Amino acid sequence: MLKKLSYITLFALTLSSCSDTLDDINKNPNATETPLPPYLLTGTLKQGADLYWGSENNFNSSLLFVQHWAKIQYTEPDRFDVSNTSFTSLWNTGYATLITDLNTILNFSDAEANPNYKGIALTLRSWTFLLLTDAYGSIPYKEAGQKVTPAYNTQKEVYTGLLEDLKQAQSLLNTASGTVTGDLVYKGDISKWKKLVNSLRLRIALKISDKEPALAKQAAIDATTDAAGVFSSNNDTFKFTYISSPQQNPASAWFETRDDFRISKTLVDKLTELSDPRLPVYAQLPSDASVGKYVGGGNGLSNSDANSQGFAKTSKPGTYFLTSASPAVIVSYSEVLFNLSEAVARGYIAGDAEQLYNSAITASLNQFGITNTATIAAYLNQASVKYDATNYAKSIGTQKWIAFYGQGLDAFAEWRRLDYPVLTAGPASVLEGKIPSRFFYPGTEQSLNGKSYQAAVSIQGKDLLTTKLWFDAK
Amino acid sequence: MKKKLNIYTWLCILLISIGVKAQETKPLIQSKLEGIVLDAATKEPVIGASVNIKGTTHGVLTDFDGKFYFQTGQKLPYTLIVSFLGYKKVETVVSENSVVINLTQEPNALSEVVVTALGISKEKKSLGYTTQSLKNKEIADTKETNFLNSLSGKLAGVRITNSQGDMGSSRIIIRGETSISGNNQPLFVVDGIPVDNSQLNTVGGASASRDFRNAVADLNPQDIETLTVLKGPNAAALYGSRAAHGVVLITTKSGKGNNGLGVTFNTGVTISQVATLPKFQNGYGQGSNGLFSYVDGKGGGINDGVDESWGPKLDGRLIPQFYSNGQAVPFVAHPNNVKDYFNTGITLDNSISVAQSSDKADFRLGVNNQKQTGVVPNSEINKTNFTVNTNYQISKNVKVGVTANYIVTDAPALPGGPSGGRAAGVMLQFIWFGRQVDIDQLRNNRNVNWNNSYYSNPYWNAYYNTTSQQRNRIIGDIHLDAKLAEGLNFKFRTGVDYYNDRRKYTIKYGTNGTPFGSYAEDAYTVSERNTEGIFTYTKKLSDDFSLDALGGFNIRNHSDANNYQKAPRLAVPDLYTLTNSRDPLTSSNSLSRLRVYSAYASAQLGYRNYAYLNLTARNDWSSTLPSSNRSYFYPSVNGSLVLSEALNLKGNTLDLLKLRAGWSEVGNDADPYQLSTVYNFQTAFDGNPIQTSSQKKLNENLKPETTRSTELGLEASFWKNRLHFDFAYYNTNSFDQILEIKTTASSGYNSQLINAGKINNNGIEIQLDGSPIQTEKFKWNVGVNYSKNTSKVEVLDYDKQIQNYTIGSTGGVDVLASVGQPYGALYGTAYLRDANGNIVVDSKGLPRADSQKKVLGHYTPDFIGGITNTLTYKNIELSFLVDASVGGEIFSGTNRTGTYTGVLAETLAGRDAANGGLSYYNVGTTKTLLTGAAPNGTTVYDNGVIFDGVFADGTPNNQIITAQEYHKASYNISEAFIYSSTFVKLREIKLAYNFNKSFAKKLGLQGASITAVGRNLFFIYKDAPNIDPETAFNTGNAQGLESLSLPTTRNFSLNVNLKF
Repeated sequence: MLKKLSYITLFALTLSSCSDTLDDINKNPNATETPLPPYLLTGTLKQGADLYWGSENNFNSSLLFVQHWAKIQYTEPDRFDVSNTSFTSLWNTGYATLITDLNTILNFSDAEANPNYKGIALTLRSWTFLLLTDAYGSIPYKEAGQKVTPAYNTQKEVYTGLLEDLKQAQSLLNTASGTVTGDLVYKGDISKWKKLVNSLRLRIALKISDKEPALAKQAAIDATTDAAGVFSSNNDTFKFTYISSPQQNPASAWFETRDDFRISKTLVDKLTELSDPRLPVYAQLPSDASVGKYVGGGNGLSNSDANSQGFAKTSKPGTYFLTSASPAVIVSYSEVLFNLSEAVARGYIAGDAEQLYNSAITASLNQFGITNTATIAAYLNQASVKYDATNYAKSIGTQKWIAFYGQGLDAFAEWRRLDYPVLTAGPASVLEGKIPSRFFYPGTEQSLNGKSYQAAVSIQGKDLLTTKLWFDAK
Repeated sequence: MKKKLNIYTWLCILLISIGVKAQETKPLIQSKLEGIVLDAATKEPVIGASVNIKGTTHGVLTDFDGKFYFQTGQKLPYTLIVSFLGYKKVETVVSENSVVINLTQEPNALSEVVVTALGISKEKKSLGYTTQSLKNKEIADTKETNFLNSLSGKLAGVRITNSQGDMGSSRIIIRGETSISGNNQPLFVVDGIPVDNSQLNTVGGASASRDFRNAVADLNPQDIETLTVLKGPNAAALYGSRAAHGVVLITTKSGKGNNGLGVTFNTGVTISQVATLPKFQNGYGQGSNGLFSYVDGKGGGINDGVDESWGPKLDGRLIPQFYSNGQAVPFVAHPNNVKDYFNTGITLDNSISVAQSSDKADFRLGVNNQKQTGVVPNSEINKTNFTVNTNYQISKNVKVGVTANYIVTDAPALPGGPSGGRAAGVMLQFIWFGRQVDIDQLRNNRNVNWNNSYYSNPYWNAYYNTTSQQRNRIIGDIHLDAKLAEGLNFKFRTGVDYYNDRRKYTIKYGTNGTPFGSYAEDAYTVSERNTEGIFTYTKKLSDDFSLDALGGFNIRNHSDANNYQKAPRLAVPDLYTLTNSRDPLTSSNSLSRLRVYSAYASAQLGYRNYAYLNLTARNDWSSTLPSSNRSYFYPSVNGSLVLSEALNLKGNTLDLLKLRAGWSEVGNDADPYQLSTVYNFQTAFDGNPIQTSSQKKLNENLKPETTRSTELGLEASFWKNRLHFDFAYYNTNSFDQILEIKTTASSGYNSQLINAGKINNNGIEIQLDGSPIQTEKFKWNVGVNYSKNTSKVEVLDYDKQIQNYTIGSTGGVDVLASVGQPYGALYGTAYLRDANGNIVVDSKGLPRADSQKKVLGHYTPDFIGGITNTLTYKNIELSFLVDASVGGEIFSGTNRTGTYTGVLAETLAGRDAANGGLSYYNVGTTKTLLTGAAPNGTTVYDNGVIFDGVFADGTPNNQIITAQEYHKASYNISEAFIYSSTFVKLREIKLAYNFNKSFAKKLGLQGASITAVGRNLFFIYKDAPNIDPETAFNTGNAQGLESLSLPTTRNFSLNVNLKF
């Protein structure tokens, strides 16, 4: 009997276990421990574009601050009535997705990823840090990804660090250093990446120009004298082109289900005043045909006042921006030309500021499909458009603001730096008549990285929307 | 590999050596004796009674039929000592070779027998910890479709959070949350088979997921004979890893004790009504700034895309509305427009069972069908349980048995719909609502809606945008009991809990916001298999000492798999297939497996029936831990001392006085796949695969978690058990917890897995049962339970870098485990206040938020308790249960949103002079308080409010804002919507009538009873307006958050039970 019992028991024991060892059982069948560089690259490009062009950082925040768009319903963000979770996605996705994935590429051995992958990764990482510091100010940079509670660095430290990073990226990138796949933007054309690196260096040079002119000048010279050059045509523009649902442009996806944004009255009025040929591209005619002209929505209105403007009586953003394959423009040729113009105006480099300014506007018009030379010439010849050498900041600031339409984060950064155009906070806005000067940190920083956060805030100033950042000298 | 071999080798040696030992004794036969032991009152056989020949070591246990047999070297006559737990010991002289022995039950608290870990019955007096049990009637009579709800208020230290609505899940927590991040719910064991109680969800993640009933709710309450709660590690140490949060042991009914063929028929009907709807205002309708006119419901008219009630006064003025085709129709209130949306829910519950036992076998077969139509239109759940429980004596010493429970759940439509939050599909639209909306117009025409910007008609949603669920589940085992030698028994069991759970989500073409509709399928397969063998050994060592020992092993295999596919936009309407898609399908799948080997042992040493020492030890080997930390050992010790016996204190007053104490440790493993950091795939972009960080840094050096618990207790019983008192104190420390701590993204990851953390829980439990009146015909019983648990998060990471662990978040409020705070701190935005505590307003008179977030409360209550009164007069029994939860806070998204949208009654304040609004006129854009007559030609408004606060310079606020601005002003200030979650509820009233046996016999019945029950009747007291403070967002640890929850229901049921 007992013998039988023992057999039964042993048999049952055998049944209940298969040949797997405990280690085999705990091997994750759902994900990989060994990623591949092209797949990470594709991922960061796509997710970076979503982040830059999506609702939280663009049309539900910065694009409202710079009065490119306005809310016609649920106007809280347009009135700057925001909560401590409003500005978390730039931080969380920027660091935990983009920078982490790019660091993964940077940490690969040379056998796993050739130097061009690393050069691209370092360039994209610099761009991400740039977005972060432009928006928040001091950010974890040197210790980012290294510690559980990384210390923050000041903007000065970040910008100067990024100039070094980009210098290194430039030296890594070499057309002879192997091919890159998964590059949805430049299709593996390393020479274009090298131009992007220099274009970003030029951008940073101007960003620090009011604070560190000597360093800025050197950086501008470095950027423009590098053999690879900066962007030289709209074909060089760094943009991510979407396809169709579900891989569609985030603004287009938003408008499929919601209808709470309009083009801003401030912008429509400016474009109308300048007879700007971009207006029909930037805006749609109101759906109520009886209106018959472009009408922007006011910024910073109360919900009821915003509503009373009429959904059908105001202009939606142009279909150019709302089709599923609309591109997410990230660094444009036009921006580079504006930056060159300013670098000349500041005396950093040699050149003709006015000519570069006109080229920049032309590049922007071309970018939006306006190529008729007569139209362009007529536009440029207007007194209100003409370059004003006595106040380059006003000329460049205003036109850059128009050219940046849709690129909320950069429009916001450059508007703060150049202080043009002069914008007025909406009547129901909640910052005592001010427009935000930054994003505040995610509320979770207080609980998750409290000491570093407090140290940063004590240097930078209170963690408020209105606290001016280092680069924003005026 | 090596490790596994070792266990098997060890087991084989153990089995063989026992086999050898058991065959050694071969006595010389001098006499034979056949006997039977019966219960003196019922004449039922007493199974497992110990029969000893006095003065010898010969002893046997009675078998399944109460029979025993001696074949010994002892000559007749001799004296037998017969004893059994709960019965008076009998000594009797036998001189013939057959004997019948009757045992009389001991009517005192000392003899109570309880079920303990691994299903082993023990005398309660011998235990060094508390257990508490409920019987069938206390569970089944409530007719709760989720039986966990029937435990509310009945057990000390057990907290039930029933979810929203009548078809939702429930959460059970015993003695507080001991794990910072893990599942804190207890292990459920049904007839020795661990069963799964997952709440599975893919869509939307933890905070926004829709609610599916938790898996253990599949059990049919009619089948439950007893439910025993082992509170925490002291009682449950033998269950090991999963015992840290306690164990709920369920014993189902079997055929035992049915002499003839017993047929039981039970039928019940329950009606449910919505119980806690918000209080709505009926003064003003849809719109904004007092203006509204409908054209297309999405901004074409005046404010007709606005889904708020800041519109015109509901005074019958004529305004075009959504159903009037542009005609101006009276703008009037429909005070019951939300209530009338809901139906009366009906649950029909029928079951029949057949049971019988004979010499060799017993069985019970049962079928139960439950058909529930919910309060939300079109919602329905059908559930059928088939149960078999059978045992067969294959030889004198070996008994085998099978149990099986097959459960089919078929829910064609669950409440809430597939889009958004768990109930958002329903309540979202009613909290963002126009108070003038005539719900009948919506019911009559599903193609129109009051708002087309964001919603579809709620009936359209209920009937077309459905979530269906089908679950097929089998829970069962085969088991064997063998008597190997005198006092030595072996039990073997292999059990399985296996289910498939398929959900289908349909959104119809033409739904607002999802114009092309969508279709998704979500399928889960869960398997939990356990194989165990246990040797038990009982021996009376001497007149004074007894030994009760146990040793065993368990092999646990768990797996769950998920497969999710979605057609995001349908190609053609009304065809719900995955191929009917205009986009590539989005899909995901996952598989998770784990295995744990365990070996365990326990021993109980008894001294003279009043002093007991219990020891347990267990070692686990888990697949989820790195091989170096895989094996972990943990012991427990507890003891009891029955002072009333030891010191001979027993008298007319005192029946029992017992002290108990215990210390235990249990280990716990990790979830699968927590060792290596991974990268996930995302949907490929135009042929380019995408990989990205999982944003979670894992840990290759994980150690097992440890929970240590100390328990002290006192039990006393007076006046022949008329008053019974039980007190317990416990102190539990959990440390080395496996924590997925949220980290700042700038660390590279949004979370990291660490082995750290220490959380302390301590508390007391008091259980008091008394019979103040006890006469022949009338009896009054009172049961009171009280429990208080205090928790404190002592450490998170050992480097002390991390101060907060985020358990969950919603609407800007985080639920934190915060160092130095009780578990479950609600952390969010507070009003900016000056040094005197006044709220600071800006220059426009609107309150400002403090840029520093604050702890606004804690969700864990200070104490909970319940009082049950039972009055019995002859055959009539009336009982009522009041339970209370005192202390703790809840953040209410319903109040937050409803205040913003102006639908709640509170938002009438200030809207007009009758509601306290201040009169003012405008000078430019400045609102000026009307003090006398207004200047000529200016309009006077009477909807002014001044927010109670001060300017930054400390002067009182004098800025007038409109009532609409006032009620919207605090939307982003979490503090404004934190409420005390204290409540006192009349939970249950029950009236039962048991027919006389003689009367029943005339009808050809063995017994009959009829029961009427009202559940969840009303709040005697609550603080939080507009919501049921018991509701929760989900069954996870992020409690204390409520948002747009479905109303809870009040239930009335009638139940008839007939025994043939």
